[in-house]
Amino acid sequence: MSTPAWDKAAPWVVGGISVACVIAAWEIAGVAELPVTTVLPPPSQFMAMVIESDFRIGLGSQSATLLESLSSTFGRVFAGMLLAFVAAIITGAAISLSRFTTWCVSPFLYLLAPIAPIAWIPTAIVVFGINNATAIFIVFMGVYFILTIGTLAEIRRVPAEYGIVAGNLGASRWQQWLFVVMPAILPGVFTLLRTNFIAAWMAVLVAEMVGLRDGLGAIIMMGRNLFNNELIMFGMLVIGVSGFVVDRSLALIGNRILWWRV
Amino acid sequence: MAVATESQEPVFRLDDLTVNFRGQSGPVPSPLQGLNLDIRANEITTILGASGCGKSTLLRTLGGFVIPEDTGGVLYKKQFLTGPTTDIVMIFQENNLYPWLTVKGNVRFGLRFRKNAPEDLDKAVADMLSNVGLSDAARAYPHQLSGGMRQRTAIARALITRPRVLLLDEPFSALDISLKRRMHSMIHTLQEETDISMVMVTHDVEEAITVGDRVLVLGGNPANVLVDADARGPEMRDRYSKEYLNLQKKIEEVIF
Repeated sequence: MSTPAWDKAAPWVVGGISVACVIAAWEIAGVAELPVTTVLPPPSQFMAMVIESDFRIGLGSQSATLLESLSSTFGRVFAGMLLAFVAAIITGAAISLSRFTTWCVSPFLYLLAPIAPIAWIPTAIVVFGINNATAIFIVFMGVYFILTIGTLAEIRRVPAEYGIVAGNLGASRWQQWLFVVMPAILPGVFTLLRTNFIAAWMAVLVAEMVGLRDGLGAIIMMGRNLFNNELIMFGMLVIGVSGFVVDRSLALIGNRILWWRV
Repeated sequence: MAVATESQEPVFRLDDLTVNFRGQSGPVPSPLQGLNLDIRANEITTILGASGCGKSTLLRTLGGFVIPEDTGGVLYKKQFLTGPTTDIVMIFQENNLYPWLTVKGNVRFGLRFRKNAPEDLDKAVADMLSNVGLSDAARAYPHQLSGGMRQRTAIARALITRPRVLLLDEPFSALDISLKRRMHSMIHTLQEETDISMVMVTHDVEEAITVGDRVLVLGGNPANVLVDADARGPEMRDRYSKEYLNLQKKIEEVIF
């Protein structure tokens, strides 16, 4: 059975069946009351708990709906990524247009890139306090350096002929950057952004776990503090599904809007 | 096609042209060392030569993309070229088109930075696409085009800017033979219609004779002109004519 429709649907069908099999085995383990299900309660248990609480997580005034937690985490991730994306493009432009800027900026770029975003958390909390700015800063630090190095690599990949043709048609150096280099590198930089989304996602969750009191990361910490394994499992499920949906959405945007390759 | 005369002002005058490349341990000499040559206006000059003879370097120097040594250079409009100018447009073997723009967008891109662009841009683009037979492909993207269509788009984009000189760097080398021949006749038609000067570098002897009004063969180190032949006239477009075969033999004896 190899039709175009099947080829397109196969990964989803096979993947879906695979996930369904694991959930079924998990549920059977729960019904059999295997000891492991105390730590890993099956979906029927933790979903029942969350539905019962009307998707409201937490205690008293600190409780938040699932939608509020999702919007907090997504807001932080996307704000940090957007800032990093814009800053990486600007830095890439500055470096590619001026050797002096390259000499000034490169040492910082390559010295700071290997530092894990999590390492910035204590400093960020001291500087910004426990608020959204801390989480956005962590995401930014996790994405910006890698994205800038990737942007520079993308700029170097742009065929020399593109610039020569534009210059030949009367474009100034700045116009060449805006109308030729930018569109040429955008798909590659966006793909890098997508691959770095996972890093940004993990960074913000860690920030939410150790400092912030809301968001998806905070759900896990709340579960830990309350010895509530159902809440931990639910938090993990939401994090996994959300990350998957965003990754697929970014891939779709990349394929539909920024489809060309140089 | 204007017939060149001895008194006609050349479009380029190569005056003691010397080009050296920048190497890690000092300048690396190219085969172009003290070359003197006139490239005539309003005709197609084809330049042939073995690999490494300096023909592509010469073309890039004519475009102002390679700056010669101080001792000589390329005289264009009686002044030494010091960089690219919008009067002289170059077409490469590949990477001419921007993949994110349609055929129409690519051709229109040629006028984006021109101060004297025509008022009705859409009409100018449509007319140019019609000239190169690409009206039906206006909305297609480069990856949807054949090699010949891509090169026609690049030529249309260059011509819409009304340059004085069109430089072509082995533009048809990636095309199959039938497409290549169609492109040759299109180049002739466009040259006759626009009367612009064209300089084309190629390693294909047949292409050099059938396209060129004048065929130059470069060779030796330092490079000099080994053959300078007049290739005008219908007999040179006929691959079986005596004149064509004689010139082909003469060139091949020099090159091989």
